[in-house]
Amino acid sequence: MDAFQGLLAGFQVALSWEGILFVLIGVVVGTLIGMMPGLGPISAIAIMIPITYGMDPAPALVMMAGVYYGAVFGGSTSSILLNAPGISGTVATAFDGYPMAQQGKAGKALAIAAIASFFGGTVSVIMLMLLAPALASVAISFGPPAYFALMLMGLTAISSLSEGSTIKAMISAVAGVMVVTIGIDPQTGTQRFTFGNVNLFDGFDFLVIALGLFALAEVCMLIMNRKNRNLSDDQKLGSLKVTKSDLKEMSGPMTRQSFVGFMLGVLPGAGATIASFISYIFEKKISKNPEEFGKGSIKGLAAPESSNNAATSGAFVPLLSLGIPGSGTTAVMLGAFLVLGVQPGPLLMSDRPEIFWGIIASMYLGNIFLLVLNLPLIPYLAKILSIPRPLLISLVIMFSLIGVYSISFNTFDLYMLLVFGALGFAMRVFSFPAPPFILAFILGGMMEQAFRQSMTISNGSLGIFVNSPLPLALIIVSLLSLTIPAFIKWRSRRLSLKR
Amino acid sequence: MKKTWLTAILAAGALTLAGCNSDNSSEGASGEEGGSFEPSKTIEVVAPAGAGGGWDTTAREVARIFGETGIIEENLTVINKEGGGGAIGWAYIHGQDGSAHNMFVASPPLMFVPLNGQSEHGHEDFTPLANVIADYGAFAVSADSEWDDLNDLFDQMKEDPESVTVVGTSAPGSMDHMQFVRIAKAAGVDPTKIKYVSAQDGGALTSVLNGSVDVFSTGVGETVEQVRAGNIKVLGITAEERMEGEVLSEFPTAIEQGIDESFVNWRGFFGPPNMDQAAVDYYEEKFKELSESEEFAEVRKKYGWSEMYMDGEEYEEFLDNEKQEIQALLEEIGLGN
Repeated sequence: MDAFQGLLAGFQVALSWEGILFVLIGVVVGTLIGMMPGLGPISAIAIMIPITYGMDPAPALVMMAGVYYGAVFGGSTSSILLNAPGISGTVATAFDGYPMAQQGKAGKALAIAAIASFFGGTVSVIMLMLLAPALASVAISFGPPAYFALMLMGLTAISSLSEGSTIKAMISAVAGVMVVTIGIDPQTGTQRFTFGNVNLFDGFDFLVIALGLFALAEVCMLIMNRKNRNLSDDQKLGSLKVTKSDLKEMSGPMTRQSFVGFMLGVLPGAGATIASFISYIFEKKISKNPEEFGKGSIKGLAAPESSNNAATSGAFVPLLSLGIPGSGTTAVMLGAFLVLGVQPGPLLMSDRPEIFWGIIASMYLGNIFLLVLNLPLIPYLAKILSIPRPLLISLVIMFSLIGVYSISFNTFDLYMLLVFGALGFAMRVFSFPAPPFILAFILGGMMEQAFRQSMTISNGSLGIFVNSPLPLALIIVSLLSLTIPAFIKWRSRRLSLKR
Repeated sequence: MKKTWLTAILAAGALTLAGCNSDNSSEGASGEEGGSFEPSKTIEVVAPAGAGGGWDTTAREVARIFGETGIIEENLTVINKEGGGGAIGWAYIHGQDGSAHNMFVASPPLMFVPLNGQSEHGHEDFTPLANVIADYGAFAVSADSEWDDLNDLFDQMKEDPESVTVVGTSAPGSMDHMQFVRIAKAAGVDPTKIKYVSAQDGGALTSVLNGSVDVFSTGVGETVEQVRAGNIKVLGITAEERMEGEVLSEFPTAIEQGIDESFVNWRGFFGPPNMDQAAVDYYEEKFKELSESEEFAEVRKKYGWSEMYMDGEEYEEFLDNEKQEIQALLEEIGLGN
């Protein structure tokens, strides 16, 4: 069966009444769960596994996939409205989304996020459809040295994530790297900084830190500055309308970052979180007005939103075509496949074409449903901001606690959430930026593991990073991204001195 | 808006409830006077890991078959207690001292994790009920590798141990590592010179496919699909005898290649400490019935597991022996505690 016939068969699955119904259930459940701070696709899919026992695998998997990308789609809502990331892939969404909402453009920000998500989702499904088999080789092209170089490239961008003091940004980043070393070291099995406490053996979940540093810190700031702002209801919601010039402004980032996000999604271990950060930084670096980023830039919102949704579809490439789960969420998805008696892997496309293509075809449909469902909801969602402040603050705290508790049902994590909330608040008060901390936390752990895997493989020779083209190229790009801005600054200063 | 928040709160409430349905009491355990035991309330089966993994799948399939066949009439619910490679779940069960309505699913990490100093509780702290399944380890290499059997690989490792890297998902000293060390040592490889890296998030298979590392030490089930697709070849498995089933039966054992060693990834169920003997007898019998049922044979076939029933006593003896062997091996390679 060739790809075209396969896709036709896939659409037969997706467009049957059963297919349509389950896609719809999947995306509605996903988008609702994603909207809640801290509740992400992992919990949603895990809850669904027992429900799908005994179901026909095709509709069941179409529904699970819908939950997954639906959660990423909906995850932006709480990032934008409350600075409380719905899922880890939408932390970067808060950088410009939340300032926009604060400026009374909540409705517009939500609409831009929805459009960018739809665009990223759809572009990546097209790429998934055309390239999934071919991309399988891309997914495995990165060995440990290349991963190390990729993470290094991401870390060089830290300076561009900060406003003000570079030194404070660096301190923040170093703290992030330090926190990620807590736990059992996978390369030696040694406990690091756990103080023998079993709750620290697995280290900190990303969401504990993200919700602490962003949501709880923001709540503290709101309480501190309670007298400052007094917007009327209309101002809070703002106009929903996305103008033509807005669309024009976001078209560039959306197109570029859909590709970037998709490719990073394809790489096992990278995924939506890293993709959204890298896309954000990418757009800021090439922007003519980088100073607008972090203050409610449309580009800064559209970039991570198209990227994280594209990465979600990208993550289906290694899952479906190789049977390799690239993240915790896709690992749970893989478990769901196995429970339903479907083995994802190189033979899925020929053994069970209706499932392989059914999932892909259903994603077109799912993305349309998501856009149609989300756009009319926006005015209602944005009204969350007109909930009286004390009630709103309590709700944010409550949902953050529930979100963290649902990760592993462990009360210890709740105390850690409070600790990171306090740390985040202190950082805000003394103007240490939180994004470098978060980025270093995400990249630092993977970077260390990749470095040490490489060192074991090469028997301790650093040559492994420069002897093959892929890591070498990435390292050169990292060096350039550090030196070019410094060089430009130096030259412009010399020019201005001459004058 | 009201609706959205209502749904949200309801969903959140349901989640919270799902997390709190544990129940500390051990009352209701009838049969105190050495008579027979019948469960009088829902039996809680803990999977000391997240949803979708091996423990979770085993627990859910066993609970499902118990329910569908009516072997156990009382309800069984599976709960996930994730963290610390199992240590959090074990600590939780350890706190249910004497309860006859709690159990958990376990496999070799119940030995490896405490041996590596990462859990206070090991198999000797719990009441073994029964073992039900055996799974085996496999050593795979890329399809275009120059090695065709384990002896090719081990000859190279004896000559130049630095040239071969082994990858697995878990940390050194745990299952993926030690099953390889055990077989390699029996073949005459210096166990202290084996290079092992750990890779998460699918990185292990990726690294073998792209040639970054040489050997993938994993479970047999993880290799089948890749072998069928011609991406990797399995040099040897740790089972005593050839396994049954398509593809699986083609994998040569280490033993038939002249290496006299094996490793079983056993999977069974344990109760809290001091479980009443009448309850142990009850569960032993029920697990035996499950193991012999046609329905469970189907489950084993679906996941490529082998049948391996042991009653509690036999199980304990087997585990004591295994633990001693592994401990000696860990000490030899300098990972002992």
